[in-house]
Formats: sequence, structure tokens, C-alpha cells
Amino acid sequence: MLHELSFGGMLFSPLLVLVPMAFILSAVTRFALHRLDLHRYIWKQAWFDVAAFVCYLAIIVYLFGN
Amino acid sequence: MGKLLRVGITLLVIALAIVAGSWVWNHYLYSPWTRDGRIRADVITIAPDVSGWVTQVSVKNNQAVNQGDPLFTIDDTRYQVVFAEARAKVAEKRSALELARHKYQSRQGDADPQATTEEALEIYRIQMESAQASYERAMAELEMARIDLERTQVVAPADGTISNLHLRQGNYVNKGTAVLSEVIANSFYVTGYFEETKLQLVQVGQPARMTLMGADRTLTGTVVSISPGIADTNTSSNDQMLPRVQQTSNWVRLAQRIPVNIALDPVPEDIHLSAGMTVSIYLDSE
Repeated sequence: MLHELSFGGMLFSPLLVLVPMAFILSAVTRFALHRLDLHRYIWKQAWFDVAAFVCYLAIIVYLFGN
Repeated sequence: MGKLLRVGITLLVIALAIVAGSWVWNHYLYSPWTRDGRIRADVITIAPDVSGWVTQVSVKNNQAVNQGDPLFTIDDTRYQVVFAEARAKVAEKRSALELARHKYQSRQGDADPQATTEEALEIYRIQMESAQASYERAMAELEMARIDLERTQVVAPADGTISNLHLRQGNYVNKGTAVLSEVIANSFYVTGYFEETKLQLVQVGQPARMTLMGADRTLTGTVVSISPGIADTNTSSNDQMLPRVQQTSNWVRLAQRIPVNIALDPVPEDIHLSAGMTVSIYLDSE
């Protein structure tokens, strides 16, 4: 999280890498829920997706942030 | 029941997301870190103590030197002459002192009180003391001339590396004007400019991790001091002694940067440090 990414002399926020990772994880979750037919336990699919994305992002920041 | 479970699971995940999201936000905004750190070093600016032409430069740019190594030599012809003059003056004053002493002692030994009055004897004694003082003054001047002569040879005041050497043989150097600088060996430290919003999280003794720009290796260190002040541009005055108050925007405030000094732990041999390099600094909570 705190360490900047250097690419060709330009600095980028590490979120540039961490956000796609979280996005892939939440996409996988959504796909799995549909395949396993668990999505009927979800009340509002969009709310759940956004919340899952934020949770994944926090976990990834915690694990790889430093 | 199924409806309640559906709503419950979703709300639980949303609640978790709010907690996790605010943690990420606070972690990013309020953990003590900065990209604005610089490597610094103690630097001596070396100025000659006597004026004159440089007759010899004994060091090269960026050369490591030890304490006492000769750096450059100033033409000493004039200082040799001054020294010789001072020495001659000492000889002269010594002779004058001997003469005065001789006069006084010979009169003192005179048994005949008619030949020398009390007053005349006193005058001889005072003359002798005056000659003694003149002699001591001449000695001091000789010592001064010797110091000047000695200081035509400029030596390194500490172990370190010569930097920014533009001095060449034949240049005229002035007394007290710095002509080169020396970075003291192993005196590197880091100054991090921390935003004031994060400063309350910085404590003396806190361990720090630093990465050089473009390098993956981590340096470690310890916070040793926090600067007690930075310049406030509002306190400067114009020529009518009125304060120059800066206008600020009401809703956008830029945080001031406060210097925090960090002592480096021993740096691995293969990492080269130069004063002025950029580092990113992260402070760990104790």
C-alpha cells in the first residue's frame, strides 16, 4: 500500500496493482456463487458485490501493502 | 426465514466492508510515512586561514582523505619573510633587554650611594621591565608569524571525502573564504519531511524503514529528533515593517512538512549513499 510502484521513472500508487487483484477475486466469487447456485441466499447482488470487493481490497492491502 | 437469512448475510458483508474500507482509508492517510525523505551528511567547508596563491593541490575531486592529510599549499614566500622579520625583532629585543638588565644590575651593585641616586636606580629598573615586555611582545609576534607560516599548508580536519573541488594550482585564495567541502566519513543520516497531519504519530526512538528511489533494498534506522520549527512566511515584513500576510484559500489547506531526523543503522557495503538522495520512509509503530 505504502510503497510506490516505479515504472519508467514515473511513480504509481500500488493500488494500481492491488485494485485489479481485488476485482479478480470478487469476480471469481460472483462466478462461483452463480455456479454453485448460492446466489439465492444473497439479497441485493450489487450491494454484496461492492462490499465483497472492499473486503478483498482490505485483505490484500493488509497482506501485501508493506 | 429464508428472506431473513438473505438480508442478514448481505448486511453482514456490507458491515464488514464498511469496517474494512475505513481501515484502508485510515491506514493510507494516517500512518506515518513519507516519500519526501533525503539522505544528508555532515559537511565541512574548508577555508584557508591565510591568503595567497595556491602552489600545490594535493587532492583530487571525490578523493577519500584522513584527518591531517595535506589538501593544498599556499605560497609561503611572504610568510617566510614575516617570520624572519619577527625572529630578527626577537633578537633585537633580547639584546635590548640584556642591555637594560645589565645597566640596572651594575648600578644596583654599586656600593657608593653618591654615584647612583635612588631615583635613577628606579628608572633603570622600569626601563628593564619595559624591555622585558617588549621582548615578550616580539616573542608573541614571532609565534603569530610561525602560525601563519604553518597554516599555509591546509590539512583535512576530519576523515572524509573531498567534494566539489574547483581549486587549481595558481588560484588566489582569501583568508576565511571556503574553497572546497569535505563530507565527513560515516556521517550519513536521513531527514524525512512529514506532513503535520501525521506528525503526532511520530515519536523519538521509533524504528524506521527506508527505501532508496529505484532500489528495492531496505535501510533501517531510528527517529532521533523532530524539528522544533520551520519558517512561517507570514512573519516576514516589508520595508515599512508591515507583515507580509499570505492569502490562503478557505477550504483547501496544504499540510506543512516538518523535518524529522533519522539515524541510519550501519549500511551494507554495497549500497552507495550520497547526500541529497531521495528516500521513502515508513515508520513502524513500536
